[in-house]
Amino acid sequence: MSASAQAVNGLPPTAGWLQRVMAPAVDPEVFDFWVQHLNRAWSWSRPLATIVERRVEARDTVTLVLKPNRHVGGFLPGQHVNVSAEVNGRRVTRSYSLTNVPKPGRSGSRRMSITVKRVEGGALSSHLVQHARVGDVLGVGPAFGEMTLPAQPQGRWLFLAAGSGITPLMGLTRALAAQHMPVDLTLLYWVKTHAELCFLQELRALSARFPQFRLQVVVTHEAPTVPGEAQGLISAQQLAQLAPGLSEQQVFACGPGGFIEAARELCAGRSQAFIAEGFTPVAPVALPAATDARTVRVTLQRTGRELQLSTGLSLLDALEAEGLNPPSGCRMGVCHTCVCPRVEGTTQDMQSGDTQSESNMAVRLCVSRACTDLTLDL
Amino acid sequence: MSHLTRREPSPEDLARFGAEIDDLRARTVADLGERDARYIRRIYAAVRWIEVLGRGVLMACLFMPQAWIVPTVLAGGLILGIAKILDNMELGHNVIHGQFDWMGDARFQGKTFEWDIVGTSDNWRKTHNFKHHTYTNVHGMDDDIGYDVLRLFPEQKWHPAALLQPLYAVIFALLFQWGVAVQDLRIGRVFIGRITWRKLAQEAAPTLRKSRRQLVKDYLVFPLLAGPAFWSVFLGNLMANGIRNVWTYTVIFCGHFTADVQTFPKGIVKNETRAQWYLRQIQGSSNLSGSKLLHIMTGNLSHQIEHHLFPDVPANRYAEMAPVVRDICRRYGVHYNTGSMVGQFSQVIWRIIRHSFPSSPAPMSPSLQAR
Repeated sequence: MSASAQAVNGLPPTAGWLQRVMAPAVDPEVFDFWVQHLNRAWSWSRPLATIVERRVEARDTVTLVLKPNRHVGGFLPGQHVNVSAEVNGRRVTRSYSLTNVPKPGRSGSRRMSITVKRVEGGALSSHLVQHARVGDVLGVGPAFGEMTLPAQPQGRWLFLAAGSGITPLMGLTRALAAQHMPVDLTLLYWVKTHAELCFLQELRALSARFPQFRLQVVVTHEAPTVPGEAQGLISAQQLAQLAPGLSEQQVFACGPGGFIEAARELCAGRSQAFIAEGFTPVAPVALPAATDARTVRVTLQRTGRELQLSTGLSLLDALEAEGLNPPSGCRMGVCHTCVCPRVEGTTQDMQSGDTQSESNMAVRLCVSRACTDLTLDL
Repeated sequence: MSHLTRREPSPEDLARFGAEIDDLRARTVADLGERDARYIRRIYAAVRWIEVLGRGVLMACLFMPQAWIVPTVLAGGLILGIAKILDNMELGHNVIHGQFDWMGDARFQGKTFEWDIVGTSDNWRKTHNFKHHTYTNVHGMDDDIGYDVLRLFPEQKWHPAALLQPLYAVIFALLFQWGVAVQDLRIGRVFIGRITWRKLAQEAAPTLRKSRRQLVKDYLVFPLLAGPAFWSVFLGNLMANGIRNVWTYTVIFCGHFTADVQTFPKGIVKNETRAQWYLRQIQGSSNLSGSKLLHIMTGNLSHQIEHHLFPDVPANRYAEMAPVVRDICRRYGVHYNTGSMVGQFSQVIWRIIRHSFPSSPAPMSPSLQAR
């Protein structure tokens, strides 16, 4: 590919006429290098955002208010974005829920907020909570997620939030408040300890302002200290007590995987609707030995194929056994001809034994094997 | 050439030798991080600033009195040449090897990086990353042995035209970027009727597009921007490209064509173990000793041996890996070929002259026999 073709292909969808005219003469990387001396969030085509405010919400939890550049798309309350930053030389990407309500207005006044809780051993969350400062620039992907508001919200709603599961539900609560709370809303918010509680003052203020909004904090690992707080893990009895009339309510739940499963069991089929988003803390994958081969599902994103491949072979060998012929060279991990980005899943470097799960990192197919279901950009 | 008869390590020694090299690699890779990311960013920034400085000095010819124009062109051409050398060697060559893929930064991904040279990085990835680095110094498999232009080893077939090679070695040096650009096209295939001109033109299209862009940039756009100083900028750019060509040629030839390097017959790659591959990389490469500046300006190809052992390890690490490799080689009795640039390049010149005349291979050494 020639440099000019690359530059033209590198045009972002947001390109205006001036950018289109300039495109053949501009190398996007060189352009970024120079303009970023003026403003680190300026870019020819990359969606970037500057941290303009940092608020401590609770222990180990901060809210970062971001000012996106023009390549960052819009979002709806309840959605998430992939945020990336460089940690020890490596670009690390994780998804975070947006907690604010997008305001209509000029692009320069757009803001997006993420609320990040530090996860023990989490590379990006530790970086964002402990080291990120106002003025730092982060990469921001397009917003995604189905847990958004309908055009005309109505009826009785029940939000079940556990731990940092509060974040998308906070976005939705704020959006509903901005519409003067058109629904009858109960928010049940489980935390292990009081130190984890986020947005408490604001939520209390909202419940004071809107009689149709009720907040109920539930503490699981400490004794309640404030009158009105409930205690204990989610259960049928607790739910019946804290949110009676389940059959008339639409339920939105967000929290760790285990919490979502419990909530689903209690609500699905009994409530009007059950919409949930679970997240699992990144847990080390238990690796089967190389000899103990299984098959996993490998999705080739670009060709749109889905294959069942053995974990006992290198990805290159396994793909070739399926009749595919991806570009390859030395077959010993040296020449990087077979390198392709791993979109999702875990692979193991067969030479070093290291496992990698970072999304969108380059994998050498000839010396890597699949450990889990995979998506490759191939 | 005493080392050619040196005893090869026993299979057990060789396996241990390979394990030590593997271990060095693993230790280095495990330690990659912030420091390496900062290094390659600084190199990128240096390329950008030096290029702007060089082009700026050339543009300044617009305001120079007549007598100052020649020194200004020389200075601007030299500075721009340095920028191109840095771009091609310490930045481009290393990034295209995938040395910085681990960063996950789109700017330094080996698969997509493009450089300031007429050849496309796609062709380079094939001829260099794969062929040259996998089949280093294997006759008939590594096209970099004399680039099909020069006869440097007695195992290459002699032809009367080789008598003139001292002359066209100089021309090749001056036009080195073009030699690299057309290498993968293997134009000779047309003359022996293996492909048609039309097919060649199709295959050459990306290279032609890239070359045209480079030519338009250096010999049309920038000179035109200088208006009346058109020819000053034109000549300065020509000089910059020339300096880059001669320098890269010199460095690269010092890497594999010094007196003591070995070449290998095709059979050697059959069933080659990783340790044997390591050994061949060391035997087929030669280092340059010198200052930190020399290492940066050669894109760390001054550590050709380390580069061939670890082509995808960030080059800024080679300097600290080299003493370890050298020590491993000493302990296993493997020749570690290093010397000053003047010394090593003199040996290259000797090869160019010596093998322009008929020559025949020395009696087979153990290392050349099928393993």
